Amino acid sequence: MIELRNLSVHYGRAIAVNDVSLSFPSGTVNCIIGSNGAGKSTILRTISGLVRPSSGQIVFEGEPIQNLTPKQIVERGIAHVPEGRHVFPELTVEENLKIGAYLRADAAAVKRDFDAICGAFPRLAERRKQFANTLSGGEQQMLAIGRAIMAAPRLVLMDEPSMGLSPVMVATMGDIIRSINAEGRSVLLVEQNANVALSLSEDAAVLEQGRISLAGKAALMKDDEHVRVAYIGV
Amino acid sequence: MQFLVETVLNSAMASASTALVVVGLALIFGVMRIENFAHGELYMVGAYATWLFGTSFGAGYWVGFAAAILVTAVLGAAIEILLLRRLRNNPMGALIVTIGVLLILQTGAAWFFGINSNLLVDAPVSGVLSLGGFNMPWHRIVVIAAAVLILTALTVILRTTKFGWALRAVAQDKDAANLQGISIGRISMSAMALSAALAGAAGSLMAPIVRISPFMGQPVIITAFIVIILGGIGSMEGAIVAAVIYSTFFTFVSVYFDTTIANVAGLCLMLAVLIVKPSGLMGKAQKV
Repeated sequence: MIELRNLSVHYGRAIAVNDVSLSFPSGTVNCIIGSNGAGKSTILRTISGLVRPSSGQIVFEGEPIQNLTPKQIVERGIAHVPEGRHVFPELTVEENLKIGAYLRADAAAVKRDFDAICGAFPRLAERRKQFANTLSGGEQQMLAIGRAIMAAPRLVLMDEPSMGLSPVMVATMGDIIRSINAEGRSVLLVEQNANVALSLSEDAAVLEQGRISLAGKAALMKDDEHVRVAYIGV
Repeated sequence: MQFLVETVLNSAMASASTALVVVGLALIFGVMRIENFAHGELYMVGAYATWLFGTSFGAGYWVGFAAAILVTAVLGAAIEILLLRRLRNNPMGALIVTIGVLLILQTGAAWFFGINSNLLVDAPVSGVLSLGGFNMPWHRIVVIAAAVLILTALTVILRTTKFGWALRAVAQDKDAANLQGISIGRISMSAMALSAALAGAAGSLMAPIVRISPFMGQPVIITAFIVIILGGIGSMEGAIVAAVIYSTFFTFVSVYFDTTIANVAGLCLMLAVLIVKPSGLMGKAQKV
């Protein structure tokens, strides 16, 4: 369970997230949709501790985490797949994955997870000795997701995983997100591509100019007139 | 012919010591995006520490060498924790602070050891290697071997250890490194200690060869910046290649002409490379 309570975030004097309260249950895929600049990435960056909220609380599994460092938040079981992948360009695929497990001491379990990811993403396994900057966009997205899974998280934050990918790759990404969830991990997805996000999600919220304008079951939201016109385009 | 062989070996020694200095400088620029102007003074501290522990306390050269590495590493870590950490979002402030550190270390050395010191450090392996008329002091070969060993060890650390991956990750993408739970502060401190220790090692290795003075870091840092620009800012491989090219070029010009001409020619070499390849030999176009 991740809960935002009256969360506000400022960049200087500009407000990016304005008094947002949201709660998503554990064990499901949920999403926040909204247009570019609505504050979606800021919410994820605040959960991860990269950005400090100006007010409000973030509660994960019953404990407030808004004052923790990014390191402590990873230790609590939250991993973040950032917007634009941000794989380490001049680390090999293998090094990128292993650095995802930077804080884990259980070498045997890390090895097991590494082998599992290589099994799930054979294209990464083939390229494990190559620098990450030689991969295609879709492969880099897989690598960024694999790196997050290497931290053995209970909650995975994903920022625009479909961005810049071909339609085939977007469908693959959907399968990957479902399989991550099937392993018992919660996923919080942030997307401009509302169609994809809503079809994967249980609960959803719409963010407009830093405020929540709508929240509810994703299945119902797909039929909402406003959401259809503004975010799905049909 | 003998003269040529000796000059090649002298070039190799100059390359080795320069490479140690510039790799440290490139490392710290990569991780912290700071040009450390006090890097030459860490080289100077390495030479003094070698004299103090090795010669003055009579513990022998290698104890002095170890002390030089230890002292400069601690000094580097202290500079990061006490000063640069507070200026992580202020690169201009950090640059000015490194100039302040330069002045403090220089003045400190002059205060403790005097301006015109005649301190001598004995080489660990004395004598001259004579082979068919060609003469080379043994210590020059020690410098080359030690530098190759240290740089190989550094490469192995950066490529194979968790610390090495974390350090490269921070240099490549700070936010993403933060998201893996890597502590930027801890890596910055370790990188600064490592970088300072490389300068300290170079100063210690050169202590039996050069004149030890509070200002001995000045020509070293100027050379280091020329080499860094030549190799491509932020590229450690480029720094090593450029150290070899520049030092060899410089040594040959100073042997066959003189050092003043070598200084001018060295700068012309850098300008020529920049005209052909503005990002340096192995540098990448910088993202703004």
